Amino acid sequence: MKIFDPTAAASPRPLGLAPAPPRLEGVRLVLVENTKFNSETLLRKLADRLGRKYGTVLSVVHRKRSPSHEIEEGVIPALRRQADLVVSGIGD
Amino acid sequence: MTDSGEPSAASDPAALIEAYFAAGYTDGLPVVPPTEKSIADTLAAAGLRAEEPLGEIPSRNTRVTAEKAAINAVMAGCRPEYFPVVVAAIRGLCRPEFAYHGPASSTGGSAMVLIVNGPIARALGINAGNNLFGQGHRPNATIGRAVRLIMMNAMNTRPGFLDRATLGNPGKYSFCFAENEDDHPWEPLHVTRGFAAEDSTVTVYASNSLYQVYNQLAATPEPLLRCFADALANLGTPNLKGFNESLVVLAGEHTDVLRRHGWSRRDAQQFLVEHARQRVAELKRGARLPGEVTPADETTERHVFKAPEDILLVCAGGRAGAWSACLPGWGTKWTRSVTIRVEGPTQ
Repeated sequence: MKIFDPTAAASPRPLGLAPAPPRLEGVRLVLVENTKFNSETLLRKLADRLGRKYGTVLSVVHRKRSPSHEIEEGVIPALRRQADLVVSGIGD
Repeated sequence: MTDSGEPSAASDPAALIEAYFAAGYTDGLPVVPPTEKSIADTLAAAGLRAEEPLGEIPSRNTRVTAEKAAINAVMAGCRPEYFPVVVAAIRGLCRPEFAYHGPASSTGGSAMVLIVNGPIARALGINAGNNLFGQGHRPNATIGRAVRLIMMNAMNTRPGFLDRATLGNPGKYSFCFAENEDDHPWEPLHVTRGFAAEDSTVTVYASNSLYQVYNQLAATPEPLLRCFADALANLGTPNLKGFNESLVVLAGEHTDVLRRHGWSRRDAQQFLVEHARQRVAELKRGARLPGEVTPADETTERHVFKAPEDILLVCAGGRAGAWSACLPGWGTKWTRSVTIRVEGPTQ
């Protein structure tokens, strides 16, 4: 008798990472906040530290609808124009 | 038999079942080994081709095909005619407004509750009565199980990996029931959501717990529903910030109290919106809000729900007994319940 495979592997989409900025001095920073408790507090603290240490400039704080949702496709081009560096990713 | 004399999967059904365990394909219970015929029959019952996509979860790069869903449905013990319900449920989980990734991955450990309405519930014999959430009914047990197996095997939702439940709950094995439309004081759930009474639907809803609400003394709706409001707004409930969605399942005796007093569905929902609340002082004392308690906090209240539609009221369960149930949701900010029409040649 045959064993049928019930699984479906994820098909990763090719991801192209933007090159890291050669230096942090003066870069424009965008924060993508996912609405988790303390997410914005933590990200703003990070932005403050980067600002003090490297002179980064906080450009935009974008709030996602929820941690459950992906960032809205339509927002990405605007953030790209406003940012040299985007910081996101807060868990529990 | 193998060369060593051990039973082999080729000749021994028990060995075949063990092979599915060994491959990591099961939910911890034995599965029904599929055959070419059982998979074909299952696909045919929903009028689907093997390669047909049922949906995808972009954030996980996963895509569910009819064939993979059918294999899992057979493994779960579904009869072919159950498959259209399974398909509708998977389509619901894949809808953007359900926002699958959150409730499927969260430490909250949600069960995917499936509420079946319309003629298919009666045709398949999906239990809407006694022992509603309990054992003993094949469609309830296997349709819910099929959905969880598909999540595990074909939607990249394995415990410890992208299923990060701290505790989980027994409903994660299977959670499916029908609304009792034969003895209902109001229009059934799917009709309130824009479907015709003769449509068959599945509503998918993420809930991380179930607790029973008891009241044998209440003869009028207000004291009865106060017990529900209290249960829905207890300090430990997940979402107390006003972006909640909860399922309330009213069983026979409690339904009768509302019916006898002429309360509409909307009346009951509105009462719960008004009374499911907590004082800010209590929220702070319970560390559900940060900060010191101020005198104003003693008289300031927060409501758990914003709108009547945030409370899914379903009538089901046994006729006898002063029990109903609350199933807190995962929050309207993160996910919303979705109702999908069941389609297929058996409809």
